[in-house]
Amino acid sequence: MSLRRLLIALALLLAPVGVGSALAHQQKIAISTVSLNSRTGMIEIAHQVPLHDAEHALRAQGITAPDIIGSAKSREAFARYVTKRFLLEVNGTAVEPSYVGSEIDGGSLWVYQEVLAPADGKAGLRFDSQILTDVWARQENRVNIGGGTHPETFIFKAGDAPREALLAR
Amino acid sequence: MRFVLIAAALLFALPAHAQGVQQTKGNFEDKFRQLDEVLPDANTYRTAGGAPGHEYWQQKVDYKITAQLDETKRRITARATVTYTNNSPDALPWLWMQLDQNIFKKDSMSELTDAFGGPGRRGPKVTLGTGSEPTKLSMEELRRQQAMADNEYGYDITAVTGVGGVKLPHTIVGTLMRIDLPGPLAPGETTQFEIEWAFNIVEEDAINARSGYENFPDDPKKGGNDIFLVAQWFPRMVVYSDYEGWHNKEFLGRGEFTLEFGDYDVEMTVPSDHIVASTGTLQNPDAVLTAAQRQRLETAKNAAEPVFVVTPQEAAAAEAGNPKGTKTWKFAATNVRDFAWASSRKFMWDAMGVKQPGAENETVLAMSFWPKEGGDLWRKYSTTAVAHTLKVYSRFSFDYPYPTAQSVNGPVGGMEYPMITFNGPRTILNKDGSRTYSLATKVGMVGVVIHEIGHIYFPMTVNSDERQWTWMDEGINSFLDSVAGYEWDPNMPWSRSIPRDMVSYMISSDQQPIMTQSDSITNLGSNAYGKPAAALHLLRDTIIGRERFDFAFKEYARRWKFKRPTPADFFRTMEEASGTDLDWFWRGWFYTTDHVDISLDSIYRLKMDSKNPDIDLPRRRQEREDEPGLVGTGLNKQQGLPIWVLENPGVTDFYDKNDEFTVTPKDRKSYTEFLDGLLPWERAAFDRAVKEDANYYVLSFSNKGGLVMPIILGLTFADGKTEKMMIPAEIWRRNAKEVAKLLVFPKGKELVQVVVDPEWETGDADIENNNYPRRIIPSRVEAFKDEASKARLSRDLMGEAAGAEPEKKRK
Repeated sequence: MSLRRLLIALALLLAPVGVGSALAHQQKIAISTVSLNSRTGMIEIAHQVPLHDAEHALRAQGITAPDIIGSAKSREAFARYVTKRFLLEVNGTAVEPSYVGSEIDGGSLWVYQEVLAPADGKAGLRFDSQILTDVWARQENRVNIGGGTHPETFIFKAGDAPREALLAR
Repeated sequence: MRFVLIAAALLFALPAHAQGVQQTKGNFEDKFRQLDEVLPDANTYRTAGGAPGHEYWQQKVDYKITAQLDETKRRITARATVTYTNNSPDALPWLWMQLDQNIFKKDSMSELTDAFGGPGRRGPKVTLGTGSEPTKLSMEELRRQQAMADNEYGYDITAVTGVGGVKLPHTIVGTLMRIDLPGPLAPGETTQFEIEWAFNIVEEDAINARSGYENFPDDPKKGGNDIFLVAQWFPRMVVYSDYEGWHNKEFLGRGEFTLEFGDYDVEMTVPSDHIVASTGTLQNPDAVLTAAQRQRLETAKNAAEPVFVVTPQEAAAAEAGNPKGTKTWKFAATNVRDFAWASSRKFMWDAMGVKQPGAENETVLAMSFWPKEGGDLWRKYSTTAVAHTLKVYSRFSFDYPYPTAQSVNGPVGGMEYPMITFNGPRTILNKDGSRTYSLATKVGMVGVVIHEIGHIYFPMTVNSDERQWTWMDEGINSFLDSVAGYEWDPNMPWSRSIPRDMVSYMISSDQQPIMTQSDSITNLGSNAYGKPAAALHLLRDTIIGRERFDFAFKEYARRWKFKRPTPADFFRTMEEASGTDLDWFWRGWFYTTDHVDISLDSIYRLKMDSKNPDIDLPRRRQEREDEPGLVGTGLNKQQGLPIWVLENPGVTDFYDKNDEFTVTPKDRKSYTEFLDGLLPWERAAFDRAVKEDANYYVLSFSNKGGLVMPIILGLTFADGKTEKMMIPAEIWRRNAKEVAKLLVFPKGKELVQVVVDPEWETGDADIENNNYPRRIIPSRVEAFKDEASKARLSRDLMGEAAGAEPEKKRK
């Protein structure tokens, strides 16, 4: 382990920023819903991210003039970022869900992905949502497993390990 | 008549009217149970109607402060005379102060108890997919850790003295300090003491402290320039209240502040070329502003649009120059719960008078202070957004109660103090020197200014306890900021605050009720901002209605202006002033984690029997004929199987010419006897019902989400006409899980489709079960694919349109 990596690992053991502030526009939450669509045979993933948070993420990625509302290119750049930060294994195999698109609804940016579900409709998932945890240590992500109204929710913070759940039809 | 209402539910009702009441048989759950068993008892300080009681009291704390800003050392040194008036009925042997800067000490409770990722989840364990990703994860923590290691933060309290310079014993407990008085402070008495302190100002971008300094290394001046945002900067009195005594709750960083009102005289000595923005009104403009600047400030009071007090040229000159000694700015503020300020030579400053005829402050100066990095975004939208906020919020509450309302740009994303707010959005510098910004930044800018200025009403004036109940200021304020946002431009995507935005949070299995202590909440943004704001939009636009909601809300604001409300005071006032029993609503939305999901399970259509065999039997014959034929006889026909009666046409009897629906004299006699047996009023009702021949429908609903809600119905009739109907939430009072409702429509008005919550007002989490007949509701991904070709929201980037290329490493 290089000194830099060691330092980083040490830093992660220290307390993250514990201070909140009355921000109107940085909610520091991303909610991802992973569900199985039996009509299409796909595992669908919908990420809901507050608009301004998404733009901050792009800036942190080195994109200096992002325009999450106005520019489809910016939204796609963010979607690519989300794809990198939302890690998914299906039945033990790492998968890269394809990018379906993104749209703005209310104050949120929605990013859609999908990946083919196993033929028997049972998917053992392993997943980790690190969306925006590289921008704010206080980022707190939710992953809802299941498309109905009683999903199983997992909360991820920076550096959290992947979690597992079964997604069934 | 043969329609039967589903009535089994009625058997389950049991009274539940006292604390400790338990349902010990069956599974009845009273979603309408009185909230009084949860709320504190009314007393002479707070009434059962939610108003301040006839003996309401609160303490008063006045400050005289002199402070020096050491720009080089980035250090504040100050001294205060504190005058504390005990309006409580209790004698106080000691006083408690809040030492908020101590949260940044290395051994603070906040630092020591911040469980990173929780037990067993430490370290960079993200190994799936791209293993190198965790490198970026920790940069923010690294910077913070280095800042903490390199600097000594927290207060140095150098003296606490009473009358005549007597040293007062004091004990520091984390972010709190007890000062022992020579003798108990009796009710109605006032005491005075002096305190001296100093602290190193944190670098806001590293520490994230709601205040601090920001350095601009690229400025022409050697070493660059700083913006100082100074807040939580003096020992503030802990609140002593009627409901908690001393509020000894350690500052852990999340739950914000609980403070006392008082008057302030503050002098801050800063480098001579700095411009200071502050809570209060400037007392010595002659000493700190040029004659031209003073003249511009006067002009601004009656200007229709913002006027520069300090021009961009003056700010640019100051930014490149050096100070000649120091200047002392003097401010005074009356009846404020806190005091904050900002100082920098980078500031330009504009101002505009907002008129409030008849108010205590007839002209409020809306003002903004920003560096060149704010650019046109600030010039166009900061002060104008301040003015818009005052207009909308005053309509919902009271005239803006202070002489100034300020928006200051610096390193803080958004934070509020009396008369002054810190707001973060900025422009992007392009290589050609131009500055542009995205639409989202613009929405963020207007949104954050509205939100933070809105906080001057809630909680700076309606002084709720932020440390415990974040929703009382953030939720109420998010509700109002979205009202103001939609009144600014309804087509902009404002922050998430309406019920439909909150569905994915409200169905999640890991969440807390809104009425959870602030420091214990996960996802504070959804819990304390979004969900309560959604609840209030729902109350206003759907459940109570705008007129009564706005009346009640204004009454809450009026009652608690410059006073300290608790959640019970809000709940009770909203009920009492709107004339609506909302115990069920507060219970569901604020005390549970239920969500909204009402399912329309079935609709049965019923017809009125006339009892007249000459009418009913032909109708039944027709109904029989309308039914599909037997599959088997159809197949027989296809096979060409012989039918006995057709092959023996000569063998017939009565039954070949008359079916079971044939009217007999016995039927007619029985009809006559039925009519004769009716009492006169029964006969009249029966005759009318037969004549009207209305359509009867029984709709069965189930509550799958747990929250009881009004059932809003979108009805579509056979003639294509539509109607909206609202059944109050009280329909769920005897059975919160399943209910049925009879709807009656006149002859010819046939129902063909019903949709629950057709306009998505309630945040119903499952739309599919809202439709009858059922419809396939596409998933979000499917729906998006259908609409993807429409190429929405493809407006051009301002910078791209001008062909500008962003500068990557400079602000």
